[in-house]
Amino acid sequence: MTEAELDPVIHAPARLRVVATLAALDRGDELSFPKLQKLLDMTAGNLSTHLRKLEDAQYVRITKTHEGRTPVTYLALTRRGRQAFEEYTFALTSLLKGAGS
Amino acid sequence: MTSQPGEPTLDPGATLRLIRDQQERARAATSPDGRALYGAWGLAWLVGYLCLYASTGPDGMPAGWAFMVFGGAILAGVVFTIVHSVRRTAGTRGPSARVGAMYGWSWMLGFVAFGLVLGGLERAGASGVVMALASNAFASLVVGLLYLGGAAAFQDSSLFVVGVWMLLVAAVATFVGLPTTYLVMALAGGGGFLVMVGVEQALRVRRRRAAALPAEPRGGR
Repeated sequence: MTEAELDPVIHAPARLRVVATLAALDRGDELSFPKLQKLLDMTAGNLSTHLRKLEDAQYVRITKTHEGRTPVTYLALTRRGRQAFEEYTFALTSLLKGAGS
Repeated sequence: MTSQPGEPTLDPGATLRLIRDQQERARAATSPDGRALYGAWGLAWLVGYLCLYASTGPDGMPAGWAFMVFGGAILAGVVFTIVHSVRRTAGTRGPSARVGAMYGWSWMLGFVAFGLVLGGLERAGASGVVMALASNAFASLVVGLLYLGGAAAFQDSSLFVVGVWMLLVAAVATFVGLPTTYLVMALAGGGGFLVMVGVEQALRVRRRRAAALPAEPRGGR
């Protein structure tokens, strides 16, 4: 395992934090855009850009809906996204163990 | 997209810590803090029931002011629980939110029925002593059963322990009789919740240590 083999979609710190946040939810649970933004301290534009990249990789599912008359966007990790995150953290742990020996 | 020259080199330890901290922050912002809820109810029961116990006169009835303090403490517990839980779970959707909402309504409905049952007993001519024993017993019974249900819904065995404990409190508090009932409710009931603040804190520290070493990914799910 080398650094170059780490998933490039998740490897960017901003996207890693997005995926880590969504992975903290239980399977099938979704987070609203404002709540996710608050948890990450990112600007709306910045977060949208990263979410689009994660959606393109099919790691994140974006659902646009209405609550009353207010439009709300919900974000969730796809099965693929969750697996990618688990593999990424496993790879990091392996790197850490390798470096420590 | 391999690393470019000049890019900071990867530090796996720091990245794992970043992940852990971010996930802790996410969990704290989306689910109620057990320590806060146990603390609020522990204090409410301890203060409220101690006042009832301490003010019980020779006629066996607590003073009016003690009932006011008790009512105020319980009301404060209810308000705190609702505000805390609604705030924490706002902006979430999905199975957990649905389970949480059903669980919240279970408490509400349980205590509405509790009030109606007590009203019925009073109408049937139950004495002051029976009313006092029944209200404490039924309250502990509802609390105990709901904790057992919560343990099943959230797969949390510490909630199960609390549920069993509260059922024991219900039985013991009723058998010892007034005014010792109030002392049992304060120390075993309220005290039990306060012990759970410490247990919850210890579990949190242990989970944090365990999170430092992520497990092997589960493939294909």
